[in-house]
Amino acid sequence: MKQLDPVVVHSRNEAILITCVWLVAMVWAVPFCYFNGYIDDFDPQNLQTVWGIPSWLFYGIVVPWIAADIFTIWFCFCYMKDDDLGSEQEESDIEKEFSGTDAPDAAQEESQA
Amino acid sequence: MNPGLFEFSPLLAQARSGAALTTFLIYTLAVFGLAAASNRLLRSKSFLSEYFLGSRSLGVWAFALTFAATSSSGGSFTGFPSKIYTHGWVLGLWIGSYLVVPILAMGLLGKRINHVSRISGSITIPDVLRDRFDSAAFGLLSVSMIVFFMSFNLVAQFKAGSEILKTLLQDVDTFQQGVAWVAGVTSSRGILPDVDPAYLLCLVTFAVAVVSYTTYGGFHAVVWTDVMQGIVMGAGVLLMLPLAIWQVGGLVSATEQIARMTPPRLGLANIELEVPLEENVAVSSPWFVLPGEDVAHPRLFRVSRTLAIPAHQRVVEHVKVVEITTPEEIERQLQRLSEANEIARIDETLRTLPETQIAWLDRSPHLKGARVTLTLSKQYRFGDQRRGVYVTGPGPDPPSLPRYPGTLIVDVGEADAEIQVYDQNGTLEVTRHSGEPKVVIALERGGHRLRVSSPGFAVFAEEVAIEAGDTRTVQVDLDRSGNSTAVDDFPSQQAAAFSTGFLPLSLAISFFFMWGVSGAGQPSTMVRLMAFRNSATLRRGIFTVAIYYSMIYFPLVIIFCCARVMLPGMDLESDSIMPQMAVTLTENIGQGWLAGLLIAAPFAAVMSTVDSFLLLISSALVRDIYQRNINPKVSERTIRRMSYLFTLLVGAGATLGAVNPPQFLQDIIVYTGSGLAACFLGPMVFALYFPRANAIGCMSGMVAGFAAHLGMYVGGIFVNGSFFKPFRLLDFNPIIIGLFVSFATAYVAIHLTPPPPRKLVEKYFYRRV
Repeated sequence: MKQLDPVVVHSRNEAILITCVWLVAMVWAVPFCYFNGYIDDFDPQNLQTVWGIPSWLFYGIVVPWIAADIFTIWFCFCYMKDDDLGSEQEESDIEKEFSGTDAPDAAQEESQA
Repeated sequence: MNPGLFEFSPLLAQARSGAALTTFLIYTLAVFGLAAASNRLLRSKSFLSEYFLGSRSLGVWAFALTFAATSSSGGSFTGFPSKIYTHGWVLGLWIGSYLVVPILAMGLLGKRINHVSRISGSITIPDVLRDRFDSAAFGLLSVSMIVFFMSFNLVAQFKAGSEILKTLLQDVDTFQQGVAWVAGVTSSRGILPDVDPAYLLCLVTFAVAVVSYTTYGGFHAVVWTDVMQGIVMGAGVLLMLPLAIWQVGGLVSATEQIARMTPPRLGLANIELEVPLEENVAVSSPWFVLPGEDVAHPRLFRVSRTLAIPAHQRVVEHVKVVEITTPEEIERQLQRLSEANEIARIDETLRTLPETQIAWLDRSPHLKGARVTLTLSKQYRFGDQRRGVYVTGPGPDPPSLPRYPGTLIVDVGEADAEIQVYDQNGTLEVTRHSGEPKVVIALERGGHRLRVSSPGFAVFAEEVAIEAGDTRTVQVDLDRSGNSTAVDDFPSQQAAAFSTGFLPLSLAISFFFMWGVSGAGQPSTMVRLMAFRNSATLRRGIFTVAIYYSMIYFPLVIIFCCARVMLPGMDLESDSIMPQMAVTLTENIGQGWLAGLLIAAPFAAVMSTVDSFLLLISSALVRDIYQRNINPKVSERTIRRMSYLFTLLVGAGATLGAVNPPQFLQDIIVYTGSGLAACFLGPMVFALYFPRANAIGCMSGMVAGFAAHLGMYVGGIFVNGSFFKPFRLLDFNPIIIGLFVSFATAYVAIHLTPPPPRKLVEKYFYRRV
């Protein structure tokens, strides 16, 4: 009986979550900056800043950036799985290539087993 | 805050030169030391895996910093600061998607690509695709793509590295002596007569350094130097940030000043000396004022780059100048200049200059009495006279000046006329009112349409051809207007080219998309994802790069927004704003030696990119073409020699290509980077995550992505007149079109063709229980 390798399952789930985060970041950042920072008749007297950064940029990019870093910390240390990626078998493959013998692939090994 | 604290000083050039030379020497020694250590490692391990992949043994710091440094090419420390200086705070949005780039570029494919490469024993990206689908054709197709794109990119990166080195060393005496020697050799033997000897010397120096340590040390040398370079880049930014904010008087103050700024005018001028000089003289970016419409408000100009005055020549033509247009900025800069140069203060005497006089705000005696004729003054295509344009979107859009200018003299006699010059498409280029009998106008070489009108007279219209460096005089007799040409008037005249600004909404979306996915789709970053030791290294690596990028990219936006206030008038030489800012910041605190560290950052960035690309191409040639297709039973000794040889040959080839590099370097880098992503990301995602994926489907996706992306660029030739001004379908960047077509084609082709062999699916997706 065979089942999907846990590395495949975990990495696919992680990739989906990452893609969602990227889309959320884009859906927030670009429209927010556009609707608040693209002003035709801007009056410098009405400039609003947070810590010296124009407020549209602060809330559109800086705040999401901090949120993304917090998410990354959670993702890396709480969500992402420590999977076994396999041994250094390629070393032996290459050595065998140099010595002129073909390495049996995993499927052959499997069928022999 | 004393404005004079951060003033330009004649000592800056000397300080920069000493620091730059010391930095460069220390750098080179350190790099070669690391290469030697890496070579020792090579002897103790399997050569191919170690030389091209570091034996999959990278720890957290090495993995994170080599990833970050390779991704941050020279553009991050030269082009990006230049863009910030030119367009202002909107660059924060332009670079905004870097908030997710680390997790996207490393997390999307990282774990799985490392896993698959371990199962297959792959050490290159074509290796992965070939083994995953058991298809030699796919391996060769992907090698072809890499070699095609990377070869162009490598030439562009070599040129960028050489230009940065030239900027760093231009004031060093030893370097100037070397340049003189190279100039003597090339001129005496008649070789490379059109190549700048300074550039040639830098190119050879850069190439020898990078090719040597990459060839000798292999992947580990590249990684270790990347780590060193990554630390230098990070330290540079972290040092500059507080210095910039402090010296500008706080970020709130800086942003308020930027909000009041209006974009400058960019132009060309002829400078006429009172008496020709006996020897060649160079004056470093002098400032001058001309009387304004209001005597209380003179017009302030800065000559871009060094003004080179040849011996025995009275007129220096086509000098690039920047005119500051913000009254507060003019006032502040005049104050700074008067303090720094110890010349007479800009007082009432200066402000009541007779109409024809100018005042040079420079202590150089050579310019005394020199007259200036403005031959071209262009306003920004977007943002002219608009306050706040630097703190809002879409950001100002500067005009382009003639690359190969010639001169048109329009002689209108005593008539009061309006002179207009259109290009061949009928777009207005220049409008001038005749204040003097002869109006001098600088124009790009090629055909133009001159139109002169005056109330009560018929329109004078004539086609004029301008040659680069030449002068064409047109006598306009308005009494006989209409008779002097077969063209009575020009049809389809239109206003000056319309611009929607630097970053309109569609481009903002494109860039947010592009930075995220193009990073994930680069073979040079993918190969690093095959090199980390285990999952824990990947987790910690993503975290480290996320923090690292947070400390680099947005702080750069802050630093170079401050530079707009501290170093005005550099709009036509903004590519050197990074070294100039580094020198200014450190000199102001009396620690000029620190400038060496700061200005080493862009050099480090371009080196770390070049060495990785070099190895990527040579690995494709040695491993993917020779070993896997021509001679699978080749001995390790031969492979070792071939790896050295090909790395050396690829480096030499790139050097030769960069001697006469193509014109549009930044465009080439953008084209190749986006093209690689359009080719590789889709097939790689399907290969790693879809068991149903097959070779035909993924190869179709790769070819379709390549074709769609290329099609946008070829379409640019017909629509916009240039390959490097790509056609934007629905106003989107070609990478978005390329990726969409690649993913869609692969998906459809995979489902229309037979499923892959079961043993391959089981090998890469399943495990025994």
